[in-house]
Amino acid sequence: MDVPLTTAIELDAVTKCFGEVRAVDSLDLAIGRGETVALLGPNGAGKSTTIGMMLGLLAPDRGTVKVFNRSPAQVVAAGMVGAMLQDGGLPGGVKVSELIAFARSVYPRSMPTRGVLAIAGLEELAGQRVDKLSGGQRQRVRFALALAGNPDLLVLDEPTVGMDVESRRAFWAGMRAYAADGHTLLFATHYLEEADAQADRVVVITRGHVVASGSGAEIKRSARGQVVSFDLDGTPLFGLEGLPGVVEVEVHGQRVRLRTNDADATVAALIRERGMVRNLQLGGPSLEDAFVALTENDEAKETA
Amino acid sequence: MLPYLRLELMRLLRDRRFLAFTTVMPIAYYLLFTSIGSSAGSAAWSVYFMVGMAGFGALAGAVSAGGGLATDRSIGWLRQLRVTPLPSSQVVAAKVSANMVAILPALVLVCVAAAGVHGVRLAAWQWVALVGLLWAGALPFALLGLAIGYLASPLSTGPLMGFGMFGLSLLGGMWFPVTTFPGVMQTISHVGPTYHYANLSWKVAFGQAPAVSDAAVLVAWAALFAIIAMLGYRRTSRAW
Repeated sequence: MDVPLTTAIELDAVTKCFGEVRAVDSLDLAIGRGETVALLGPNGAGKSTTIGMMLGLLAPDRGTVKVFNRSPAQVVAAGMVGAMLQDGGLPGGVKVSELIAFARSVYPRSMPTRGVLAIAGLEELAGQRVDKLSGGQRQRVRFALALAGNPDLLVLDEPTVGMDVESRRAFWAGMRAYAADGHTLLFATHYLEEADAQADRVVVITRGHVVASGSGAEIKRSARGQVVSFDLDGTPLFGLEGLPGVVEVEVHGQRVRLRTNDADATVAALIRERGMVRNLQLGGPSLEDAFVALTENDEAKETA
Repeated sequence: MLPYLRLELMRLLRDRRFLAFTTVMPIAYYLLFTSIGSSAGSAAWSVYFMVGMAGFGALAGAVSAGGGLATDRSIGWLRQLRVTPLPSSQVVAAKVSANMVAILPALVLVCVAAAGVHGVRLAAWQWVALVGLLWAGALPFALLGLAIGYLASPLSTGPLMGFGMFGLSLLGGMWFPVTTFPGVMQTISHVGPTYHYANLSWKVAFGQAPAVSDAAVLVAWAALFAIIAMLGYRRTSRAW
């Protein structure tokens, strides 16, 4: 992995409260130039608040936020950042091409219109009125606006919400092309597969702070433990929680998944108690297992 | 700011409701109320009501800039603009400028209808002064619109804008002469901004010089609206 030469985003002990709610809680985060980073967390984890502070839309209560070593407002004013916000709307009455022309005109080093349309997959929609587009198409227009200024840093908050499978695939293809040019890319998501497949690094945040950071594979390893699965085949569910090592029991129809800290002991006890088990499988945890484990550990720590 | 002004102008010119309020309605009302009723055919009424309806169109268009801004806030467009290099103050300035530009054709068209249909004839200086005063004089109402847009809740913005358009134009004597109002209404009318706004042009249309006192009252109201709009901007700019 390339070691980033300079830092694109640096958050140092950042806290942001809304009334009684501590949305972001002494969060530290550094993102290198050229990195593609996923901010992964459940709803309400503080992803959008963190992004709002990176873009200068919100001021932190405590701590410092630096983007390219300057304040977010300065970097936004200099046209170095493009952003796709979760609640950013589009004006009615204008055509896609007119909106993109406007966006290009406010940035100092904008991308050629054809490039913007190609990356955002809007070639065929350029002449359409924005208010006549579907939700997924509007999402692509918002992406085009973020991209039009050819910014060094792209920040995307839940970019693929509302997109169908085809749009989603096209979107990430465009995104990879953009990141391949050495641009820095940060996106928030609660889709685990998306974080795993698209990012160089996944930063897991929950309840306002970072609980893990690394590649998808590293995060999976950090969850340790393994998954034992087998078919119930009519046998009772009763007693599975009590098996040695088991931390979680999941049932999908006739299939049982046991998340365990000690797969050997779990399997041995399972066979001893049930005699025979059908279609026994042993595997590593999925990113989802890791994610659940990480967020649960964090909550347990808090209440302990 | 120019690219954003262009974008805003395009939006306005494709906005049927805006065009209906500021252009079609004033012309239609002008032609209707100068063709029926007891004053129909009166040359003085044709001139008086021309100023009234041109002023109404300008007022409605200017006030609605604030409503447009409130809409842009609620749909999240202003938030989107905040992450571009375009400063918020320029967004507001472009919005108001776009509305001011967009009301000019309506003003001229009401005058053209008056001249074409009712044969209203004025000297060249009168036409220029009248259109100029109705146009520049509408700026305070753009500030009023901003004040409403910043301070009103999304639900109350519409009714307040409606009052701004109809209530103030009615109060200013743009629909019926103020002299026909009962006494208290006349007093209120003389305190408010719209009567003085229209009276600048009525004076011109009937061959007199515009009164400094009318201009002074209008400027005072403009200052008040500007202060309220500024306070509202400060209060809400973070959320925008």
